[in-house]
Amino acid sequence: MTAPAVLTVFAVALALLGPALLSRASWLERSPRIGIAAWQALSVSLVSAALLAGLSLAVPAIPWTTDLGQLIRTCAMTIVAQYSTPGGAVVSATGAAAALVILARVAYCVVADRTLAARNRKAQLDALALIARPHLRYDALVVEHPAAAAYCLPGRGRQIVLTSAALSALDHSQLLAVLAHERAHLRGRHDLILAAADSLQRAFPRIAAFRTARTELGRLVEMLADDNAARQSDRTTVATALVRLAEHGMTPVTALGAGGESALSRVRRLISPVRPLGAGRTTLAALALGILLSVPVFVAIAPASAATPMPPCPVSGQALTM
Amino acid sequence: MVRPLGTLEQLVMDRIWSWGHPVAVREVLEDLQHERTLAYTTVMTVMDNLRRKGMLTREKDGRAYLYKAAQTREQHTAAFMGEVLAGGADTAVTLLHFLEHIPPEEVASLRNALDDHLQGRKSIAP
Repeated sequence: MTAPAVLTVFAVALALLGPALLSRASWLERSPRIGIAAWQALSVSLVSAALLAGLSLAVPAIPWTTDLGQLIRTCAMTIVAQYSTPGGAVVSATGAAAALVILARVAYCVVADRTLAARNRKAQLDALALIARPHLRYDALVVEHPAAAAYCLPGRGRQIVLTSAALSALDHSQLLAVLAHERAHLRGRHDLILAAADSLQRAFPRIAAFRTARTELGRLVEMLADDNAARQSDRTTVATALVRLAEHGMTPVTALGAGGESALSRVRRLISPVRPLGAGRTTLAALALGILLSVPVFVAIAPASAATPMPPCPVSGQALTM
Repeated sequence: MVRPLGTLEQLVMDRIWSWGHPVAVREVLEDLQHERTLAYTTVMTVMDNLRRKGMLTREKDGRAYLYKAAQTREQHTAAFMGEVLAGGADTAVTLLHFLEHIPPEEVASLRNALDDHLQGRKSIAP
């Protein structure tokens, strides 16, 4: 009975403290890749802790053994024992229902979001077919528009789209930097990282941790693409392209007041000296993430492995004495 | 990476947009046939699809229909890009923008940060 309690406490603590801890760790920006992994690990660990808390309520600790016949026998015995008491049955049913609800919600939101994304992608490609022209020199589509903008359409038929205003706002090297940035998004399938975070946020709208994770992942993905672009040109060029696009992009009234902080942190990061994480810190971070991911699983199976040496039920007890 | 975008719909819209007056299917067909062989029914189907998508409107003129663009190319492009740049829920799941929307006062602070850096570099360089 301790595993479900520990898992629940772990999940709650993670949801409440995790985002604050990670948001404050500004060194994550020095390696966006590790930052992304950290937020993903937090999300996965949170979901799996909740899921396993439900499951461990539903299924009592079953001793591990390599003897398959005995395993099935003890399995049946413990489950029958658990469900034969009225209280045990209620607790187990609640746990099973909770696990099922979590699983179903995540699966539903992921599938619904992917369907929507595929439909939107097709609509975007169809619309671009009518109004965009391939650029003669750059690997991008151009749309006549007075606001400078650059974006990419990931997935099948992936495209980079530039507005005519972006072409005139940027010089050749700045354009190459923007294209390298967008290509990094496309190659790294950053859309999938964000889509997964989006789906979790939609599945559990009341859990602030997923909202924070989505925002931070959005920022880190941009920084990762900035770093990629800077490797092909240089950091000042990427920063200049960013500022020039911001200056020539007209802000629609609807979007006023949204964002801005992320762009500023990207510019500051690009113009300050590069300080990539050292090997020691990277290893440490990877180790911490591994632990974060494995804690829920470990807590869930620990009672089972602890139960192994004891004869778990009369049937196997007799078998041992014979 | 960029696919050719030469769909029949695009060719038809290109012509109707640049002509700017109502046209019958036959006129579009005759112009398209300078480049490739097409059946009348093919062009008619394409134009009817475009009408159902809201790109074209039509009115009866004797026995045939005359089609014209529901919006000019500029209006259509502006409406589409407006939606894309506003980052509505429909496009948020699909597109990755280089920049999110930035309020004008934030743009100034971006510029200041960059200029400070560029000046700092210049004073070190010589």
